[in-house]
Amino acid sequence: MPALRSLVYLRRVAALATAAFVLLAPAAKAEEDVWPELRQQTFGDRAIKAEDGVVVLEIPGTAEDASLVPLTVRVPPSVTQNLKSLTLIVDKNPDPLVAALSFGPAAGSGGERSFSTRVRIDSFSHVRAVLETEDGTLHMATKFVAAAGGCGAMQAKDPDAETVDLGKMIVKTFPPALDSNPIWSGLVMIKHPNSNGMQLNVNTADIIPARFVKEVTVKRDGEIVFQMQSTFSISTNPNFRFTFGRGADNSLDVAIKDTDGAVFTAQSTPSGS
Amino acid sequence: MANACFVVGNESVAVIDTLGSAVAGSKLRDAIRTVTNKPIRYVINTHMHPDHVFGNAAFKEDNPVYVGHHKLARGLASRAERYLAINKQMLGDKAFQGIEIILPTLAVNGTETLDLGGRSLVLETQPTAHTDNDMTITDTATDTLFLGDLLFSVHVPTLDGSIKGWLALLDDLSRKQAARVVPGHGPKAMELPGALEPEQRYLAAIVSDVRRLIKEGKTLEDATRVAGFSERDAWKLFDQYHVRNVTAAFAELEWE
Repeated sequence: MPALRSLVYLRRVAALATAAFVLLAPAAKAEEDVWPELRQQTFGDRAIKAEDGVVVLEIPGTAEDASLVPLTVRVPPSVTQNLKSLTLIVDKNPDPLVAALSFGPAAGSGGERSFSTRVRIDSFSHVRAVLETEDGTLHMATKFVAAAGGCGAMQAKDPDAETVDLGKMIVKTFPPALDSNPIWSGLVMIKHPNSNGMQLNVNTADIIPARFVKEVTVKRDGEIVFQMQSTFSISTNPNFRFTFGRGADNSLDVAIKDTDGAVFTAQSTPSGS
Repeated sequence: MANACFVVGNESVAVIDTLGSAVAGSKLRDAIRTVTNKPIRYVINTHMHPDHVFGNAAFKEDNPVYVGHHKLARGLASRAERYLAINKQMLGDKAFQGIEIILPTLAVNGTETLDLGGRSLVLETQPTAHTDNDMTITDTATDTLFLGDLLFSVHVPTLDGSIKGWLALLDDLSRKQAARVVPGHGPKAMELPGALEPEQRYLAAIVSDVRRLIKEGKTLEDATRVAGFSERDAWKLFDQYHVRNVTAAFAELEWE
């Protein structure tokens, strides 16, 4: 299907041009190491400490479902500094930038901190978590994942069910097991196709336009936990699980913007409910 | 390997699923020709998966009506590139030869009856279950119900639609009367309602475990390590497909 393939390719180029970070991976061949270039474009000449234990990346080595690969980044309790930013990268994705988070005053410290989401992985690729600590140092954890077809062939199991309830959100908080632990965790879920503009509507032969969540802001009791820029490398029905510092009410406010300019907001239900 | 079937009427033949390659489809066609020389008028696909549709090309010379659920075309076309790439890699160049994507020329929405001459097939499209394009076929002459991959036996079920939809549909199917049912994978004939029970038990185990884990605030990763593992010894290919099933089930059930 040369026609389909060239449309997909054009779409990829278009998607790239509009992406927040313009990175040059899609032309790369499977075996080519795109990281040096990605690294230069994203972090410039800054030094990056690889695998120094400050950041740990958990992701299955083989993706059972390339359109929905669970990914968790952990910062062990031994790391006591505040966190500045976190960048998630899938080297070989059409847009390698998955998400860029900058942490605020409510991100918390004094225990294990973590961030989890689910990503699409287009082909065998390195996946990277680059964490910036308060002192400005970059720390990186890398894993290799065998997966195929998470983006270009991304498809809904039931496309008709996909747009039902678009924008519906669930926001939850979970207190720590021990009261002495100042770190809570939160969950944000949004019903959203997070479509990447690489699918063909077979009834009309049109490319389904890209529409994805591009900005997420989470506040606890009015203070920022994190602000995130994201791309279509996040799976359908974006799902974020994260830690935050204990506050007075531990109430979360979430605002999500998508590429159509739609804004979705929600507040956490009290924990335990 | 999937089950492929054919039904011979007074005037024509219908094929139900065509196996996973043009080479295999062609052997199926040869087998049919040892039984009958009547024209192959219909090639029916029970759903979009490659192991049921990739033999379609072997019947092109018969110029049949290709029949499927009205959502099959969308599902298969959007996955075509990936299905072709994966199968090319899996089968190798020789076995891959001749495979092409052939979409239904007759799209069924609801119920449709095909007349083979003195014998008719009743096609019924189903709500989202194994996939969003499952269709069952009843051969009225023998009261045989072809379930496609709505029924797996021995081979672990694979979820590519809706686990809640699938369980609800199995509940409906278990109340059906039929002399025999034909699973998409497993023996060539089984009996209702017992045939459905292992699959119902498997899917229900996943639903119940995943619901409990979600309630406990556990994550998808947690679920992929424990949910449904009580079923591990009951199925072949469990390790290949189970985690994927749990992943899909979790992503569906977390919105309840």
